[in-house]
Amino acid sequence: MVKKIFSWLISPLGWISLLILALIVFSGIIWGINLTQITPEQPIEFPHDRHISFGIQCLYCHQGASRGPVAGLPTQTKCWGCHQQLGITKTSVLLKPLVQAIEKNEPIQWIPVATVPDFVKFNHRPHIAASLNCEACHGDLSKLTIYENPQILNMGWCLDCHVEKAGDDYEKLVKLTDCGTCHY
Amino acid sequence: MKPIDLNIIGAKGAIAEEAEGKWGMAIDEDLCTGCQACVAACAMENNISFVGEEDAAYGRTMHWIRIERFWEGEYPDVRTTSFQPMLCQQCGHAPCEPVCPVFATVHSQADELNLQVYNRCVGTRYCGNNCPYQVRAFNWRDYERPEPLNNQLNPDVTVRQRGVMEKCTFCIQRIHQAEDTAKSEGRELQDGEFDPACAQACPADAIVFGRVDDPDSKVSQLSRQKRGVKHLEDLATLPRITYLKES
Amino acid sequence: MKKKISRRDFLKLAGASAATGAALTGCGPSSRFVVREPYTQMPEYALIGESTFYATTCRECAAGCGLIVRTFQGRAIKVEGNKNNPVNLGKTCARGQATLQGLYNPDRVTDPLNQGRRKTLGTDGMNWDDAIKVVSDALANTDPAGIGFLLGMAPDHLFDLVSDLTAGIGAPAPVRYGALSAFEARATLVKAAENVLGQSGLPFFDLANAELTFSFGANFLETWLSPVAYTRGFSKMRKQGKRGYLVQFEPRMSQTGAKADEWIPVRPGTEGMVALALGKLIAESKKQTVPRAFVNVDVKAVAKESDVDEEKLHYLADLFADADRALAIPGGAALGQSNGLGTAEAVLALDALANNFGQPGGVFLSPAAPTEDNVHRPASLQEMAVFINKMNTGEIKTLLIHGVNPVFELPKSLGFEAALKNVPLVISFSTFPDETAILSDYIFPDHHGLESWGYQRVATGTSQSTLSGAQPVVSPFYNTQSTADVLLAASAIAGGKLASVLPFKDEVEYIQAQLIPLIENKDANFNAGEINSFSAYFQQFGGWWTNEAALLAPTQNTLNETLSVESPTYEGEGDFFLVPFVSPVLGEAGANKPSLQEVPDPTTTVMWNSWVEINPETAHEFGIKSGDIIKIVSNVGVIETSAYLYPAIRPDTIAIPFGQGHKAYGRYAAGRGVNPFDLLGLKFNAAGDIAFAGMKVQIIKTGKKFELARMESEIGVYGEGLGEE
Repeated sequence: MVKKIFSWLISPLGWISLLILALIVFSGIIWGINLTQITPEQPIEFPHDRHISFGIQCLYCHQGASRGPVAGLPTQTKCWGCHQQLGITKTSVLLKPLVQAIEKNEPIQWIPVATVPDFVKFNHRPHIAASLNCEACHGDLSKLTIYENPQILNMGWCLDCHVEKAGDDYEKLVKLTDCGTCHY
Repeated sequence: MKPIDLNIIGAKGAIAEEAEGKWGMAIDEDLCTGCQACVAACAMENNISFVGEEDAAYGRTMHWIRIERFWEGEYPDVRTTSFQPMLCQQCGHAPCEPVCPVFATVHSQADELNLQVYNRCVGTRYCGNNCPYQVRAFNWRDYERPEPLNNQLNPDVTVRQRGVMEKCTFCIQRIHQAEDTAKSEGRELQDGEFDPACAQACPADAIVFGRVDDPDSKVSQLSRQKRGVKHLEDLATLPRITYLKES
Repeated sequence: MKKKISRRDFLKLAGASAATGAALTGCGPSSRFVVREPYTQMPEYALIGESTFYATTCRECAAGCGLIVRTFQGRAIKVEGNKNNPVNLGKTCARGQATLQGLYNPDRVTDPLNQGRRKTLGTDGMNWDDAIKVVSDALANTDPAGIGFLLGMAPDHLFDLVSDLTAGIGAPAPVRYGALSAFEARATLVKAAENVLGQSGLPFFDLANAELTFSFGANFLETWLSPVAYTRGFSKMRKQGKRGYLVQFEPRMSQTGAKADEWIPVRPGTEGMVALALGKLIAESKKQTVPRAFVNVDVKAVAKESDVDEEKLHYLADLFADADRALAIPGGAALGQSNGLGTAEAVLALDALANNFGQPGGVFLSPAAPTEDNVHRPASLQEMAVFINKMNTGEIKTLLIHGVNPVFELPKSLGFEAALKNVPLVISFSTFPDETAILSDYIFPDHHGLESWGYQRVATGTSQSTLSGAQPVVSPFYNTQSTADVLLAASAIAGGKLASVLPFKDEVEYIQAQLIPLIENKDANFNAGEINSFSAYFQQFGGWWTNEAALLAPTQNTLNETLSVESPTYEGEGDFFLVPFVSPVLGEAGANKPSLQEVPDPTTTVMWNSWVEINPETAHEFGIKSGDIIKIVSNVGVIETSAYLYPAIRPDTIAIPFGQGHKAYGRYAAGRGVNPFDLLGLKFNAAGDIAFAGMKVQIIKTGKKFELARMESEIGVYGEGLGEE
């Protein structure tokens, strides 16, 4: 029996099928990884570019960033503060979810994109205090509508920057590359 | 601090510190009443799972701190040894570190603590076997935490899965938060500004936490007392916890 | 599970809970596609990503410790002690820490239920309007004399409200009860204070400044009166210039006994006689004339009866006589005897002999409460027996129960469960599906303590006159309503006299009305000109308390009256004294919290179950090994549980913890362990407390075995203990 299978496997038909199988598995893996990197669909197609073009600062909406770990999302009342004065709010199809959320007093269900896994404890405050601008990590949002990560947020990317910023300061390097700085 | 090639740290897994360490504890056994407030406080702060009666009977409880006591003598001259809270000693020369094949248990040079990096851990349990204090807990299962108990989970602490080793962190999340607050206010961290969950709960003030490299800190002053001992010091583990014996 | 935006505008972070178990080793489900809901309207005081802290009061026991609860995005995350509250000064016990597992317990009563006395928790939900109508009809249509209120131990705002209500309509005053008060023998202590100290009330023992302490059965490090406060006192006592010395007199070494420098295993019930003998010897040692209180003692006879030899008594008397600040504390099982009142008086007489009344390291009376400062104490078991009798005779037509689980917390022999059948209408306001709630007609669940408003008078534990404040730290998780609100709404609907007695819109208005008299007192932790600012500060500080110590010095000295403690009488036939004690970890209501179940008992390290403590030598005699299931037979009941060979217990005594043995009360409590209340007979002492430690029982080997889950190992590191008998 085993011999039979083996002899079939070394036949041309056998190794071609094996090759196809390997290809399927391989592309499946690639597809799976790709899936995790796709920017998810949001309840509102929020145009960052347009808001920035009006001169609105990042911290106006994401105000937690300068103070603590989470940048946070604005409450819909904050959106409404401006939008209730704009005629387009009533007419635009894209803004319908916002109007509905306000009317029903239900929260908008955003899907966070710039996230790290649960075992990583990221804190915005020290990064901003180290005079990093938002765009240093989040990219130039004046050219984006829905937010997408400009790069894969993995540990190598974090560490590259940490090592670079530490420079020749050994003590700083130790602190910035310590496991316990982010993982606990 | 003199520069050390980081690659060597990786290769050795651990570095014995010559200094006295950074964070430490003094536990006064004369004051400890064995009330278990620290055990409960630790479980609540650090998202520690409960395992149920059967697994508890196998010794699989996940506590990061336990209260030890032993019986001495026979009735009527029987007594217990003093209640002794036992937790990770954050050894300067930790036996758990060099045995980890994947560097999941590593020494933090910055905080001078023993770290358990959950995302690296593959669950060989070598570290737990090599720990002379037996303070490491292994997740034998994905312990159930039925809804809505999960609402209580502390967002500052990772929730561990099956197959991962865990242990006391000296509440590193509180250390980081206090350091971050002090830094944002442009000042040095004060002694006694924050406490790990166990010390904060302790009704008898038996647990004192602080900087052992600061000779004026409360923990250093207590540790210098004559009745201070370090457990299994002869194993050269350089424990960071000083126990004050019953006088 | 859609919820309306609440009074505090909290919102759950829906998806985040799903993410908590996620992605750890990199193989778990990614947390990328988790939904994040921001606040619709953020509370002004909330900051994104930062925790908000609320001061409130712990409701796990009646001590009234202050808590600071950390909340994050509308969820309670961690409980800490309130550093300002004079009872606990920032500290907590294990039960306080686990209170969140009550709040987020998976087995809470989620909606008002038409329970109809089913065997298990009913599913017949109601809406609150109907529920309030039921209460309203019950109050309006029952003859006031037939209304019975049974409340928990804490002297809180609900007790005041119900007292006002019942007084207004001419119904009997509410009865407060808790198993802890029975195990503390509170009624005995209060009565002894009245007889010896000249004033009724709970004595305050200044443990912190005592140089030598004789504790007669008082388990003050575990559950007695105010354990956190006394643990602080103990800590100070040990830290003071000359290290304080503690001697514990009790038949079974409790956790407090384990911390004592000397443990004197007296025969159960003879503690008072020992105290009297010591009094005589102390006076002799001090070369004083023996006060009349102690003249009648025959030291030799006491030594024989108490099993403490004469030499030891002389040594202890010398110790006490030589100490500068000596203190004697009566409490716990020593008072739960037929001669309990005499024991309490004899021990307090030792304090009189040490001349420590009103002195540092001595005996005081607890400060008067800020409001309603009459002494209220929970009912003794004799008073409960009267109450149950009223249920049986049909005198009580409507029974309303809140904050207590009498089916579990009363001795079975009192027959509360049977008496419930004779009450036409039983309404439970329990947050949890406990044994009593299940046997009720209706369950109208109250909020959990952390979801509700309130205040609580601190009965003892601090030198300051204290009113501990409570406020919700999270919005109610389920469709529950505050019992005070239900009663107010029900009275309003009923109209007539009921409505005029309590003219308050809601619970908060009632609480504010009660606080108004306090505004006048400016020597307190805060000052405010009017009630709105006052209640804001009251919530912020977690209560109101005087700045100065308000302890009262006892006025009386009874040393010149003859005291005598008669020999204890025991109930039942058997070779063993039974000493039930409250589990130091679980207390009376901790069994439904899984993390608390898994906290090892301090002395035995047993988790998740009950056990019976037997001296190893006795066990050897009976051929009992560790883990053997033993049948314990008293004259009223039988229970079976695993044996724990406990080296520090008299060979003629066995001990069983109270706290387990639930038949309901959620998945973590039900069907686990045994309840020693099943064994107790109905012998009371002179103050009406049950003589719970005055039982004699028989033990029988069953041949079955159940190994207890315990933290300690019976096998040593080098295999010692393996194969040993």
